[in-house]
Amino acid sequence: MRILVKLSTTLRDCVPGYDAETGLSLDIPDGASVRELAQHIQVPPEEIKIVMINGRQSEGTDTLRDGDRVALFPAVGGG
Amino acid sequence: MPMPSEARPLSADELLTFISGHPARRGLPSDGVTPPDAAHPLFVERDVLADLARLRGCPLRQVMDECLSRHIWPERFRRNYGLFSVMAMRRLLGARVLLAGCGGLGGHLAGLLARLGIGAFVFCDPDSFTESNLNRQAFCTERTLGRPKAEVAAEAVRDMAGHAEVVSHVLAVTADNLPALLDGVDVALDCLDSVADKTLLENACLRAGVPFVHGGVLRHEGMVFRNVPEPADSPAGAPDALPDIGLRRLYPQGQSAAELDAARAAGVSVLSVAGTACLMAGQCLRILLGDAAPGLGRLYHLDSGLPELESFAW
Repeated sequence: MRILVKLSTTLRDCVPGYDAETGLSLDIPDGASVRELAQHIQVPPEEIKIVMINGRQSEGTDTLRDGDRVALFPAVGGG
Repeated sequence: MPMPSEARPLSADELLTFISGHPARRGLPSDGVTPPDAAHPLFVERDVLADLARLRGCPLRQVMDECLSRHIWPERFRRNYGLFSVMAMRRLLGARVLLAGCGGLGGHLAGLLARLGIGAFVFCDPDSFTESNLNRQAFCTERTLGRPKAEVAAEAVRDMAGHAEVVSHVLAVTADNLPALLDGVDVALDCLDSVADKTLLENACLRAGVPFVHGGVLRHEGMVFRNVPEPADSPAGAPDALPDIGLRRLYPQGQSAAELDAARAAGVSVLSVAGTACLMAGQCLRILLGDAAPGLGRLYHLDSGLPELESFAW
């Protein structure tokens, strides 16, 4: 299945050449979870604080579906 | 001219007589003509309003409110006319906000809210400006280096809006001092720099029945949401009801000491700070003007580097 991944701030450092404008368009095995996706793109799961799938807050254990748009964030907590 | 005391509001005629007779107003249009109305307001300069306040022995903010009620707008709000009704402008002028944190977000927000017409400010920040703040913090200048951020923010707002009531506290928010800091506050603005402190503030706000606006920044990005307490007389707002803490939902794992240290050393763009402050000010306005439903609002994410603004559901 094909999914679109958008990475925020420091998580972008984990993916060399990441293009913030387009995000990552990836083919991953059917039924993969967000956590498995993170491992696939070598983003340490513990650095991911917020998961949004198709504009809704989700859990790292949630299963992805073909065509999903996944946004991953660290803590954005500065003032 | 003898003026009625502050106990009695002036009539429209009395106000217009004073204004048209003021030396600064002689020869200007609208003198002595039909009373202003919503479609044809009269704009009056600061010096005239200040003299009126002095003569009546009452705060300038009160005189401004009284004038607005008669469609006499302070000249400083001329370009707010058309954006806000008289009622909305009076609400803003009568509102008190807490800025918890007076660095990046807090500094930019203070300026925005003062120019919008918010009438009272409580500033709280334990820190002083350092050189590394110069890249993004509105009130950090080479002259203010080393000075407490809360005091500098208060001075800056007084310079922008002399009618505003301004209080500054050079201290960190704690569970003990938050109830007093939130007393009489209409909206609390989270400009703090740790998830723990932000959560502490949100929790205190919801327990005190004070609407909360979260802001957070990192690198080119920022996040904003509002959390408006349920009315105290509703089941969800009952004293024993557990408040819905947005930050606890957003960051259930919290933030470790190492993560906090890394975040405090990370790059932060002034564009993300200023843009996020604008989004927070927008949320604050919606709350003050009664346009924000109780509960958690959407989560807004700004990427000032692209730029891109998106919103998420919880």
